[in-house]
Amino acid sequence: MTRDRQRADGSPTKQVGIAEYTVVTDDTQLSTSGVGSCLGIVLRDSFSDVSGLIHVMLPTAAESRDGNPPKFVDTGLPLLIEEMVEAGASKRRLEGWVVGGSEMLSFSSDGDSIGSRNIAAAKQAFEHYGIDVVGTDVGGSHGRSIRFDPADETVTIQTADDNTTQTI
Amino acid sequence: MKVDIRELGQFNHLASQGAERAAESLSQLAGVQMGVEVTDVSLVTETVLAETFTDRSFVGVEVGLEGGLEGETVLAFERERAMKLQDLLMGVTDNGDAEERLAKSSVTELGNIMIGGFIDGWANHLDTAINMTPPRYTEANGPRILPDQAIEAAKKHGVFLFESKLTGMDTDLDFSLYMLPEYRQFVQLLSGNEQGNQIPVNRLSTFEQLAKEGAGNAADQIGMMTGLDTNVDVSRLRFVPLAGVPKQVGNDQFVGVVFELTGLPSGYLVVLFGEESATTIANAMMPGGGAEDEIGEMTEGAIKELGNIMTSGFIDGWANVLQTSIEHSPPNFVHDMGESIMSPVVGKLGQQQDYAFVIDSTIEIDGNKGQCDIYALPNERELARALSALPARD
Repeated sequence: MTRDRQRADGSPTKQVGIAEYTVVTDDTQLSTSGVGSCLGIVLRDSFSDVSGLIHVMLPTAAESRDGNPPKFVDTGLPLLIEEMVEAGASKRRLEGWVVGGSEMLSFSSDGDSIGSRNIAAAKQAFEHYGIDVVGTDVGGSHGRSIRFDPADETVTIQTADDNTTQTI
Repeated sequence: MKVDIRELGQFNHLASQGAERAAESLSQLAGVQMGVEVTDVSLVTETVLAETFTDRSFVGVEVGLEGGLEGETVLAFERERAMKLQDLLMGVTDNGDAEERLAKSSVTELGNIMIGGFIDGWANHLDTAINMTPPRYTEANGPRILPDQAIEAAKKHGVFLFESKLTGMDTDLDFSLYMLPEYRQFVQLLSGNEQGNQIPVNRLSTFEQLAKEGAGNAADQIGMMTGLDTNVDVSRLRFVPLAGVPKQVGNDQFVGVVFELTGLPSGYLVVLFGEESATTIANAMMPGGGAEDEIGEMTEGAIKELGNIMTSGFIDGWANVLQTSIEHSPPNFVHDMGESIMSPVVGKLGQQQDYAFVIDSTIEIDGNKGQCDIYALPNERELARALSALPARD
């Protein structure tokens, strides 16, 4: 589910939910909230002006019992890439940003946390598809909301601590 | 007769898609961008209906369903929001009689179109025709906005209530689409032939007990620890897509604790306070000693201690109902945006399931001065197993 919202400065924003992805071919900003242990992954082909954002929950579909593909790094990223290519992007020109993967909770039954496994899976997927990493803001123990602005190709990250924002 | 959890998920998916189509119709007809928040389904009794709808005044459009799916669908607006919609549909209104009639008929027509969109997918899925009775414009206070048959059914054995919340993107407009299928036929539709992940129909009423006992115990514990009055405002068990859970919690800042549960069922329990409520609670727990204005170590200590005791009370309530043994981890303190707090919880559960039974309880503290929200998310297969294992009763 995505929603359109008009921003004060005129360029609309699409809100991307958990286990969802959206591709745009204009200056529509892409945003997602509630990125805790999940990851927000932004891909962009600036030559063709195609941008995409996916909000994945878990590293791999194989270790899960049920699931729809956009929920996982390893099955969600190919979907996003495919849709971007359909919209005119070239796989070779893709570059990306990875945000999230924090460790907010620790339970005795855990091995590695979901957050760190998500980060590792994203790294592996980026290498596999040969996507250049433009920026990352990962780990820590806090939640994030993120917004990608295709116009200036920046990801703005908001965290709960005194509402600070950071741009990568 | 058994209810297959997968079927329930499938119907939830249909309702969610239907709500998206209804939102699109509204966008086209009234020129406002609407988005669908989460769609949930719960089996509710008369008491829960009363709690959910009480003190609110509604305007609605009701459509009866016949054929492959029997029951009613209601599109309900809170009264003041309905006026806004009428304005949008009519341009400017001056409250003249003729204008009002016209507004009513346009709301009715709009409701009819939206409900039609909502129902389409269901007919496809069931592969039969669903006939709609002519739309009826209704106004009522509280649960009376729902059809009489549904309220009667809720008294007898409970009624399945699908709810999709629609929210305006750039307008302050929100309303809900309710779908209340006829109980017996719907239970038939839910009976799958899968093994293992099923709940006997006559155990469905246990859901309400689970929601009530846990929250009641937890509220009593807050009262004992703080000396403040507490009252369980609402406690409902809903069946929701896991990915929609964070959205239900919202993205305000919360202070709270997260516990992992082990036993039958395992799962997670999240206790959240708004920042102000957390400070109020912490100060009440330590009268005269080191009051904090902001969330610091003292508040953290107090919330962890209280969370521990509330959680013990909550799962004792479950253990009583389910006759199983459940234990909880030490508290994980969190102070963050609500959606982010839920992210690792849905991530963990997401390895096992796509949907979740969520018990969502709101406890009022000291009148309306503070509020505590509890979210309990049991592993659905283990909950189904625990319910199936309960000794037979009439």
